[in-house]
Amino acid sequence: MGSRIVSFELCGREVEVLVSPMATLQSVLRSQLGYTGTKEGCRQGGCGSCTVLVDGEPMMSCLLPVEDVEGRRVTTIEGIAPVAGLAPIQQAFIEKNAFQCGYCTPGMVVLTKTLLDHHPSPSRDEIIDALGGNVCRCTGYAPIIEAIEAAAAGATTDAGRDAGDWPDPSGER
Amino acid sequence: MPELKMPEPLHVVGRSVQRSDAAAHVTGRTRYAGDYTFPGMLHLRMVRSPVHHAMIRAVDLSRAERVPGFVRALTWRDVPHNVYTILGLIGVEPEEEFVLAQDRVRYKGEPIVAIVAETEAAALEAVAQVRLDLEELPAVFDVEEALQPDAPIVTHWGSNAFMFEGHPCRRVRFGDVEAGFAQADHIVEAVYNSSPIEHAPTETTGCVAVPEADGRFTVYTNTQALYFSLDNTAIILQVAGKRLHFVGGTVGGGFGGKVDVIVEPIATLAAMKTGRPVRYVFSRSEEMQVSSTRSAWRIRIRDGVMRDGRIVARKVTSYADSGAYSRQTPYALTKHAANAAGPYAIPNVSIDAYCVFTNRTPSSAMRGFGVTMASYAIEVQMDRIAERVGVDPWTIRFVNAYRNGDMKPHRKLAEDATLIETMQAAAALVGHELTDEQRAMTSAPRSPGPEGSPGGEAAAAGSRAAGAPASAGAPAAPASTAEGVL
Amino acid sequence: MTVVEYFLPRSLAQAVDLLSRHGPDLLVIAGGTVAMPLINDGISLPRQVMGLRFVGLDEIEPSDGGLRIGATTTLTSLLRQRHVPMLAEAARRTASWSIRNMGTVGGNLFTPPPGGDVAVALLALDAEVTLEGSRGRRTLALSEFQTGFMTTALEPQELLTGIGVPAVAGETTYVKFGRKEANTPSVVTVAVRVARDGEVVTDARVALGAVGPHALRARKAEAVLVGSSLEPGAIDEAAEAAAEECEPFDDGIASAWYRRAMVRLFVRRALEELVQHVALEGR
Repeated sequence: MGSRIVSFELCGREVEVLVSPMATLQSVLRSQLGYTGTKEGCRQGGCGSCTVLVDGEPMMSCLLPVEDVEGRRVTTIEGIAPVAGLAPIQQAFIEKNAFQCGYCTPGMVVLTKTLLDHHPSPSRDEIIDALGGNVCRCTGYAPIIEAIEAAAAGATTDAGRDAGDWPDPSGER
Repeated sequence: MPELKMPEPLHVVGRSVQRSDAAAHVTGRTRYAGDYTFPGMLHLRMVRSPVHHAMIRAVDLSRAERVPGFVRALTWRDVPHNVYTILGLIGVEPEEEFVLAQDRVRYKGEPIVAIVAETEAAALEAVAQVRLDLEELPAVFDVEEALQPDAPIVTHWGSNAFMFEGHPCRRVRFGDVEAGFAQADHIVEAVYNSSPIEHAPTETTGCVAVPEADGRFTVYTNTQALYFSLDNTAIILQVAGKRLHFVGGTVGGGFGGKVDVIVEPIATLAAMKTGRPVRYVFSRSEEMQVSSTRSAWRIRIRDGVMRDGRIVARKVTSYADSGAYSRQTPYALTKHAANAAGPYAIPNVSIDAYCVFTNRTPSSAMRGFGVTMASYAIEVQMDRIAERVGVDPWTIRFVNAYRNGDMKPHRKLAEDATLIETMQAAAALVGHELTDEQRAMTSAPRSPGPEGSPGGEAAAAGSRAAGAPASAGAPAAPASTAEGVL
Repeated sequence: MTVVEYFLPRSLAQAVDLLSRHGPDLLVIAGGTVAMPLINDGISLPRQVMGLRFVGLDEIEPSDGGLRIGATTTLTSLLRQRHVPMLAEAARRTASWSIRNMGTVGGNLFTPPPGGDVAVALLALDAEVTLEGSRGRRTLALSEFQTGFMTTALEPQELLTGIGVPAVAGETTYVKFGRKEANTPSVVTVAVRVARDGEVVTDARVALGAVGPHALRARKAEAVLVGSSLEPGAIDEAAEAAAEECEPFDDGIASAWYRRAMVRLFVRRALEELVQHVALEGR
């Protein structure tokens, strides 16, 4: 009853999906489309784990009825990396060990990718301000901020490395 | 025969090593328990007590059953072994926690009825349609009030104190604490309180239970204690452990909050009863209200102290608020009792540590639980003593620091003691000037002093000789009883 | 299923029409940042919902020396406008980047305390709200619009369509105090506006957030300030009056006792900041 087909652009490809009324973008991504990189931390808009980009702007997908993104461009964590390798911000998160449990990481990466797209050289205060809605309960924010600074400075080493090659579990590089 | 390849030499210590899960984390490809979906998967939501303490007169499911998408409800009658204790696996008794409440609820948020539905929205709606007829009872929220004779009784066996081998508290007796107080120049007394702390992991507690074609059940869970969860689930469901296959993996934040077994048994039961995969993942408000917390503590400390700062007697009376059920808290009390005198050589010690039941959310494990709050209380107390005696906070700790070979109150010899060396390193780091004597100190065993007094060095004087042995051997005071070792 | 119909009208006329056809059971949302959490947790179980994201009420335009703000203007747009700095500051201190991209200025007026801080700034600016329905359009002072905890003067057949900020005189200061620096609910929010003739205060607004069922004006504090020269004694007296007349509550963020104490402190600080700011500008 009341279900309808919604179409939008998801990470560069057109998708059409039959949704029940007011299903959230988060639940449609995770349960119907298999895009589980978008996490579910609170469904209250309070943690940032479900951050996605809608037409390049960060939004909380847990608060967004999927009907509201009809015809729009949605980018999730699955669409951040280039075809081969990792985006510089992803590389920087790895190099700075900017995660422990990893649950907040997709939201952090999506948010900071668009921060750097909008604003290639943010100040430390601007970075902190941008991260205000994304909660990390393990690592603390210092390595995350360092990763963003490193990515902004172009200071990562291996951008472009094939993600499938990473890492060598022996510890040799 | 193929030649065995020798492992390569170890080369990791002292180097930064990339984590093997790093690329999956930054690309969103790490799979957490809640990321698993299966065809026909059902959703489980819980009907919970809206009050802290009540008798359940009746539960009316008739309206819930009419919600489109409703599949079935589970009550305590569906649970083969409904009363359990997580630590039963290591011999802790009695069984006391209800998987689903029977005739009484003991904390706000206690599960009463599990609703399984085709969609989460339908499950939520059916939960809202369940009618509970509750008779509210007086509730108790303070540990010391709970131990008063007229307090509302939380447990089903008639006492709000957990019984440790027949005693209402975990006890440590070492030397003669009253004699220590009698000889002391100062008595320093204080009470320390802490509130419950929620772990608040970013990923909420949850699992997905899947019936397999071979009759087994695969449970994808974010537990921090995989086999603990499997074993307790087997007990609760009264099935052989081999029928359960628990798949752990990356935990989206735990901090001790995911060692309780509060989602897997009921999700697996729902999968058994329906023959379909069942997802049971806490909402954020459930995580905050219902998942266990670090215990609230009240710690009363009475110390007898000599003019030179030596502590000659320490009496600790601690109360951990276990909430409505014991979970891991009795274990915490045992650890607590073993550590509540602090890393100090005190000849006369008495510790009574109570695990108290109240109508608050059950508390359980969290990072160093049992010891963390003891350390907080003891170290603030050390500063208080320093102030009273008129020495600086460093000195009070050097004077009392234990050494290798000192007997700790719970009858373990101090080994690998590093308090003195740690303080020396810390002083260097913060630029604090230590005295020559402090710089010269080590944690090496005390040399036997004259006349066989155990202390040697500066500690050779009266109080320590009068108390317990500081070097080695059996407890000297015949009145001592050794408890408190798990 | 809980929601059986979700409407996304493409114009105000369509929205008004849907509202009159479906009546008061139709839940109206804009950014969704207040309603969606309740729906997600099953606390709110609406059958029919109307989303206003595409009705075209998201423009900010200067008007007669003031500002005309469409009800579904996002907080991000409010942050970016340069006409009224206090409103940009109020938006900047509200929620987080992603939430500001979704939440709307109109929605903020329905947000219960300790949220809804933009309303505090708007109250100090004598803002008016425009309400439209099948029976026509009316305007109302914001101070008359919020009537209680999550209640407003909105009639069942009406929508909030816009907010008008008149050209008002005076200097303003906005102070939000929470438990952390960013993305935080308020312990207390204070917005002040003071107009002066020479040294003498001719008009004053002291608006408070998170210390009542909705954003409040501290009218006794305002009365203390009018006629004063913002001398330390007058500032102390106004802060004391505001602390007395506010209606604080206990929640997980702060106790009522603490909130009242913080009203005393932050009304004083806001006024001191305003004095300092004016002194610097005058130099």
